[in-house]
Amino acid sequence: MAAFCAQRTRIATVLRHARRPFTSVADGSESRLLSQDDWTAFQVHRAERSTLVDLFSNFGSTQSRDNTWQPHHPLHRPTASRDLTLSALLAAGAHLGHHSSLLNPNFIPYAYGTRAGITVIDLDRTLPHLRRAASLVRAVASRDGTIVFVGTRSDLRPTVLKAAQRIGSQGYHIAEKWLPGTLTNKVHFFGPEVTLSERVVPDLVIFLNPIPNLHAIRECAIEHVPTIGIVDSNVDPRIVMYPIPANDESTRTAELIAGVLSIAGREGVEIAAERAQKRARSARSMAKHRTLKVD
Amino acid sequence: MFAIRRPLRLKFAINSSRTFATASTPYVPPASLEIVADAPPPQFRSRKKTKPESPSFYTSRASYYDHLYQLETALQRCRRAISTLELLPLPAFARASLPPAQLLWRNRQSMMTMFSGSLTTARYRRMISVLADLEECSRIASAAGHTALAESIQPVLELFERQDKETVLARTVRKQVPMDRYGRSYTVGKRKESAARVWMIPVREPAPVTLSSDVLPSHSPRAQDVDILAPVVDNAFAPSPSASRMPVTTTTILVNNIPLNKYFDSPADRERIVRPLKLAGVLGTFNAFVIVRGGGTTGQAGAIAHGIAQGIVAHVPEVDHILRKAKLIKRDPRMVERKKTGLAKARKRYTWVKR
Repeated sequence: MAAFCAQRTRIATVLRHARRPFTSVADGSESRLLSQDDWTAFQVHRAERSTLVDLFSNFGSTQSRDNTWQPHHPLHRPTASRDLTLSALLAAGAHLGHHSSLLNPNFIPYAYGTRAGITVIDLDRTLPHLRRAASLVRAVASRDGTIVFVGTRSDLRPTVLKAAQRIGSQGYHIAEKWLPGTLTNKVHFFGPEVTLSERVVPDLVIFLNPIPNLHAIRECAIEHVPTIGIVDSNVDPRIVMYPIPANDESTRTAELIAGVLSIAGREGVEIAAERAQKRARSARSMAKHRTLKVD
Repeated sequence: MFAIRRPLRLKFAINSSRTFATASTPYVPPASLEIVADAPPPQFRSRKKTKPESPSFYTSRASYYDHLYQLETALQRCRRAISTLELLPLPAFARASLPPAQLLWRNRQSMMTMFSGSLTTARYRRMISVLADLEECSRIASAAGHTALAESIQPVLELFERQDKETVLARTVRKQVPMDRYGRSYTVGKRKESAARVWMIPVREPAPVTLSSDVLPSHSPRAQDVDILAPVVDNAFAPSPSASRMPVTTTTILVNNIPLNKYFDSPADRERIVRPLKLAGVLGTFNAFVIVRGGGTTGQAGAIAHGIAQGIVAHVPEVDHILRKAKLIKRDPRMVERKKTGLAKARKRYTWVKR
């Protein structure tokens, strides 16, 4: 037992050092970097190690960083709803619900079964719900509607910021706490001038983690704002208007879903722009036709 | 009679009448067949109302969060740039070589004016931590010689720095005590009601004394005959062979033109005065001339010690941290506490009487 423990600590020490290979200067001594030349030598030594690694990357496996899936892809390279597959949802872990003892009876239509004590969510029902939500987002965006993405966990922050950014001037985000009363007490929060002159009530709110934001969902219901939300197996799907039954604890699932919805929103904005252009063109041609007729 | 029995329908058998999302001919409900996109926008929307400008509008602290997220993006970009220059992750020895950070950000009230609305301490601290990380990136870049990158980060940081940063930094720089034309330092030390004016001058190094052979007794043993364990004391008053190698300098401390041992009878006071010289290891290096006024023996001794410590630092700046740790540089702020009404002395109470 003692020998085993000793071996484990030795392996741990080796691994700890292996994880940080570029810790020392070229000559192996860890002396302080006093002059500019010391810093340059330090950088050059590290760069040499990197070039060596890059050189040998050309041999061996044909899989590289560029042609394999990377963890940042769901955030920076989202898929459109028409290209979304069940395999993508499965790979993101969207089918993993909570423990079966926590299963909400109203969630049963969306549950596939139980495995290893947890509820497995039926992805055959998730996909059409997600696509319906996407077409809703597209329609709202095409009619100049404001869309708010709500994701109040720290790991959901970049997802929510990027999704709102993708939609443009019609997209908004809440990456921190939703302050209670934002919609029901809007005059206090935003002031009377802003409430009268700006569209304070959004046209659609998307919740990536609805459980900590039940106050927000209730406010949206009071103010008659349609809501989309990722509902897990311990949640009643009727709290939001358009539920997407999926795993709400997985960052990858939230990134996938937010990506799909934001791409649909962007398409809606483009549709609106095209429609405006067409209307402008037809108005111009009508005006020309009228002037010709007068002549 | 018993026709072919239908096989038992097992509970977990796959329902063959399920429809799957990925079927070849997808089912589209009739309501979705309408082309929704071409429908005209609803009439009730007031066209006069504009959309809110900031994407963080619904956080109710739009200005703060916009600034924060922009700073975090800037930090991400800086870190990526520094990583390509092989400067991140920075190992411990390289991090120790960086110059120390001089962080002087605006206080919470000042930053509140930058953002509309109140700024809680938690939000202020979060902003400060992001700014500190950005400042670290700038410091790493400038230490490694990439001044362009460091200078591009500086304007962003300057927005959040104190207006009077230079004056605050100048305050931390210690005033240099000037030497006069003879190399004497002049410092003032104080303790209780006493004030001491101290002039210190380094002693000139004496020539090494070499003893001639006729001074030594003739019967003194030669080096090879010496048995180191045997005690050899021929003449207690003869100078030791090592005297030539270590000349001892004598220094003078004059207090009000009187030698130290005559002015201060108590050995404690003398020790107090000589302590800074001992700690700095400069016991035989300086002559001191002191004029002290006010107070009593202890106060005057303390004032002289304070003045001598400052004088040592003026001549030998390297020992500053030693004397600072020993609390000899700081003027002892303890003064005689005043007597209060209703009390016999500053703290002494009159005897409590029950009735």
